Amino acid sequence: MENPAEKPDPNPSKPKIESEDEREELGDINGDEEEEEEYEEEDDGKPRTREDAIADRIKAESLFRRMRATPVAVRVHDVIVKGNEKTKDHVIEAEVDVVRQATTLQELLKASKVANFNLQALDIFDSVKITLDSGPPELPGTTNVVIDVVESKSPITGQIGTFTKAEARSSSLEGSLKYKNIFGYGDIWDGSLAYGCDHSAEVGLGMYLPRFRGRPTPFTSRVYLSTQDWLKFSSYKERALGLSLGLIASKYHELAYNIAWRNLIDPSQMASRSIRRQLGHNLVSALKYTFKFDQRNSSLRPTRGYSFISTSQIGGLAPDSRTLRFLRQEIDLRYAVPLGFYRAALNFGIAGGITFPWGSGYKSRASCVPERFFLGGNISPVCSLGGPSALWGFKTRGLGPNEPRREVQDDESGDTYERDFVGGDVAVTAFADLSFDFPLKWFRDRGIHGHVFACAGNMAELSENKYRNFTAPKLLETFRSSVGAGIVVPTSLFRMELNYCHILKKQEHDRAKSGFFMTFSTSS
Amino acid sequence: MEGDQETNVYTLVARKPSFDLPTACPNCLPAYIYLKLAQLPFELAFNSTFPDSDELPYFESDTYVAYNNEDGGVIEKLKKDGIVNLDSQLQSLSDYLSLKALIVSWLEEALTYEIWVGTEGISTSKIYYSDLPWVISKVLFYKQTYLAKNRLGITKENAEQREKQIYKRASEAYEALSTRLGEQKFLFEDRPSSLDAFLLSHILFIIQALPVTSVLRCKLLEHSNLVRYAEKLKSEFLEASSSSPSPPLHSFPSSFPRKSSKPKSKPKVEKTEEEKKFKKRARFFLAAQFLAVVIYVSVMGGGSSDELEYEDEDD
Repeated sequence: MENPAEKPDPNPSKPKIESEDEREELGDINGDEEEEEEYEEEDDGKPRTREDAIADRIKAESLFRRMRATPVAVRVHDVIVKGNEKTKDHVIEAEVDVVRQATTLQELLKASKVANFNLQALDIFDSVKITLDSGPPELPGTTNVVIDVVESKSPITGQIGTFTKAEARSSSLEGSLKYKNIFGYGDIWDGSLAYGCDHSAEVGLGMYLPRFRGRPTPFTSRVYLSTQDWLKFSSYKERALGLSLGLIASKYHELAYNIAWRNLIDPSQMASRSIRRQLGHNLVSALKYTFKFDQRNSSLRPTRGYSFISTSQIGGLAPDSRTLRFLRQEIDLRYAVPLGFYRAALNFGIAGGITFPWGSGYKSRASCVPERFFLGGNISPVCSLGGPSALWGFKTRGLGPNEPRREVQDDESGDTYERDFVGGDVAVTAFADLSFDFPLKWFRDRGIHGHVFACAGNMAELSENKYRNFTAPKLLETFRSSVGAGIVVPTSLFRMELNYCHILKKQEHDRAKSGFFMTFSTSS
Repeated sequence: MEGDQETNVYTLVARKPSFDLPTACPNCLPAYIYLKLAQLPFELAFNSTFPDSDELPYFESDTYVAYNNEDGGVIEKLKKDGIVNLDSQLQSLSDYLSLKALIVSWLEEALTYEIWVGTEGISTSKIYYSDLPWVISKVLFYKQTYLAKNRLGITKENAEQREKQIYKRASEAYEALSTRLGEQKFLFEDRPSSLDAFLLSHILFIIQALPVTSVLRCKLLEHSNLVRYAEKLKSEFLEASSSSPSPPLHSFPSSFPRKSSKPKSKPKVEKTEEEKKFKKRARFFLAAQFLAVVIYVSVMGGGSSDELEYEDEDD
């Protein structure tokens, strides 16, 4: 049926058609374009007689010959928007700017598809139809683009899922409620509640604008109130009330600004010396730039490609010099090599990070604990893209610099840890993972596969004049490492691994042991 | 034990100095002066980002910590744990407790009122908020003012009445203390005590930290012997610390017995442990249920796996 669809297009380029023929062909144009977007209109073609069919075929062949030979010149005269009651016209027209720039029929068809996709991506319309109409009779070679949208009848959507946020350093279950297009600018408002298995909780209110005053990139803002409970590992609890602004979000680059009032408290009063010095209030004003290049074929199970991500963060951007001043840099590099049998692939990953305070007296000042790096946890290094975070076999915040806690005067709590892990200013991790399918079809159909892995990582302190004790041989000497194998079950919410880990090397006070572990990860 | 004692480093963590005081915090100054009166060598460290903490000041030595919100305060805890006790021979005296109640209750109340309400918090920015950003300072100031009024029992209805009562009690306390002190060097003749630390810090703070328009300051200055007492001890113990008198006034105990100060009752502990176990089991059960449902939906549903593979290919 494509032939009749293409048939009437040469008519706009024929300016001197008689009135009767023009009227008849105009009807054909509308019907054909509707067919292009919705195939329900095919019934209109049935009543045509044999002679009409023959004539259509002849015209289509002629059109195809012309299109193959040379581009058919056409110009967009106007963009007409219909069906929008709440949404502003300029919001829709901005998404279809690409249509206006088309100069040939071929470009126009491609641009229409792109515009349709863009409008659907706004997530505020139930359906979008783009038809091409003839332009004014006095302007030959022109066309009008008619956009017919149907706005969402129910602007509220709910969503539940699991996410891995780098700031929380743990998996969390999140539920969010979205309200779309309240003010007609394509805006999306969402309220979310997240709860993590490490007793972290966050309540957030966000807003997303696809276009902000004509800027091509979307604008996001979010007000959040979060608490993270690290009493068990580091003897402090963190509360933050903040505002986050997404300034630039393009394919590879992301720039965000974050300002937050952060409070560290120790309700247990068991903190070690370093943590005690960190308690109090801080104002964090930070700019964060992320460069991300991901060419892997999958984020849950990559078998081919590579990815690179770099995150730079600078804190202390405020006229008040009493805000928290720090620099933080993270990089992560992944590479996947297919091996050609059983869909096996070798995954390599190396990640590093460094943080340091800046300002007067920066060498002897301590870096802020929430900005430091912590390794370990029940997430998989394969999926945690973004920086050094996870090691198989090591518990959450289970390695690195540590200090003794306040001595206990009662012997009631025998299972209480006696040391605080205070985090590291520099961290490095690396892993290798060989994944392969099982021979059974049942497993292959469900994506269940096996893997063998090895990983290593370490941390060190630099602030408070400790960089003088930092040496590369010392860092290498105290590297932690583990190996193991396991079964991977990708589910609709997360990637679950059942692994047996064997700890090759660990240091005193590390919380790690050989045995079976379950990890849960989501693509980040 | 002397070796251990020598290697031990004592640290008092307080708020920042200001107004020519080693620490401008009215809660931290008594602890500082107490350690100076005891001539215990210690280091001073500062925390300037926690104005609303009731843990400050705290005393630490290796893993030993004495917080201000435990056991009646740092000074009381240092006594109980045997670190330093200036009152070991005075607690049996009849007027010790009455003087202590007078200082710790009435004067403390008057000082809190004067800092937050009487002078409308003029001095608080230097005491508590000098290292905090402006926004956080404002919010915490209103919060602490509100809490101070609550603690003093001040409402809109009884503000005037309460103010009169507080100042009247302060005047009576100054009168009684002035009479008691006379021209002695310390409250108990020639021996320093924790009450001297409290009283000295109270007087020094009022004279140096509060503005000249302070009502409490005017009432204090009416008793000249209290002012002379403060100036004399200040020059002797706080300013000329390098040339302290050669014989120590108090010998330190050879050992530091650290007994449990608050033994908890066993039934309570057992109940708590049982509750913890129950909560852990309930949480584990819920997690297992959730996991089972997710795995069943993902593994048993053939369509979803196809979709998953499709998504993988797209990625």
